[in-house]
Amino acid sequence: MQRGELLEGMKDALPIVLGYVPLGFAFGILANEAGMSVVQATAMSILCFTGAGQYIAIGVLQANGAVITAILANILVNMRYFLFSTSLVPFLKDNVPSKIATVLSYGLTDETYAVAFNRYKFKKPTSSYIAGLNITSHISWISSTFLGALSGTLITNTDKMGLGFALPAMYTCLLVLVISKRNDIIVAFIAAALCLWTGYVWPASMQNLSNIIIATVVAATIGVIINDKR
Amino acid sequence: MTNADIWIMIIGVSIVSVLPRVLPVAFFSRFDFPEILKEWLSYIAPAVLAALTALSIIAPGGSIDISFNNIYILAFIPTIITAIKTRSLFFTLLVGIGTMAILYNLVQL
Repeated sequence: MQRGELLEGMKDALPIVLGYVPLGFAFGILANEAGMSVVQATAMSILCFTGAGQYIAIGVLQANGAVITAILANILVNMRYFLFSTSLVPFLKDNVPSKIATVLSYGLTDETYAVAFNRYKFKKPTSSYIAGLNITSHISWISSTFLGALSGTLITNTDKMGLGFALPAMYTCLLVLVISKRNDIIVAFIAAALCLWTGYVWPASMQNLSNIIIATVVAATIGVIINDKR
Repeated sequence: MTNADIWIMIIGVSIVSVLPRVLPVAFFSRFDFPEILKEWLSYIAPAVLAALTALSIIAPGGSIDISFNNIYILAFIPTIITAIKTRSLFFTLLVGIGTMAILYNLVQL
């Protein structure tokens, strides 16, 4: 265990925590309203740790849908994690023991992935850093869910405090940070446009987030094709 | 859904959330990826983040809204400027959340 690396991971998780707390809290309230107990809502945040996926599951529950509907929708929503995890392999390999890396990958989300990816471009990954980053983020998600579910209908309007913009602001900054070459910018613009266009012509993809997968796979492929440095 | 159904749903969702995260790290680590695949993977982060940013700003309510009613677009402008100038998550969040708080309360008036 490297103390410095652990603390740096925890420090890098703080902006993520700021984004997760209102979302986790809102998830707890909604889960409770949809018929989940406090234990179930909290267990879901411990076991699943997938913001969009959990919200979708609550939607299915509220609409009195089938268990299989929630699971199938989550397969689509969570497909992007497969790409994240694969893209971290070249960094983790030879630096973090495979077993430890596997266990810590449990805490991979859009946000922890982007922060980690950004760091690995100039610093080698360590288990302590990943643990600090992922576990701190996960704990904030679990505890805010618990508090939200416990407080039930005692809704505080977090939109009024501008917290509805925490995740969009985080995505914006992480996007700026991960761009390091000219092709990244082109890929980013193609992905953004394609994602919106797919969602426009196929509205269901907005709900199951498959527009993100389609846009990502196509944009990354175009990025490889237009690379003239080979 | 019954109480038991909810538990089955939680376990099911958990399995399909955890597997795509851990399987690649668990199994691909023993292979050497060809350069072209590494390059393709290097575009995943910019592409996904651009898609997420675009969706969260242009379609905050789940459908596309390009108008002056969409205060997310207005709040995006100072936010991206701060991100480029400071390259700091903390300051970007501060400016983004602060701007949104002001805009949100102005719209309510």
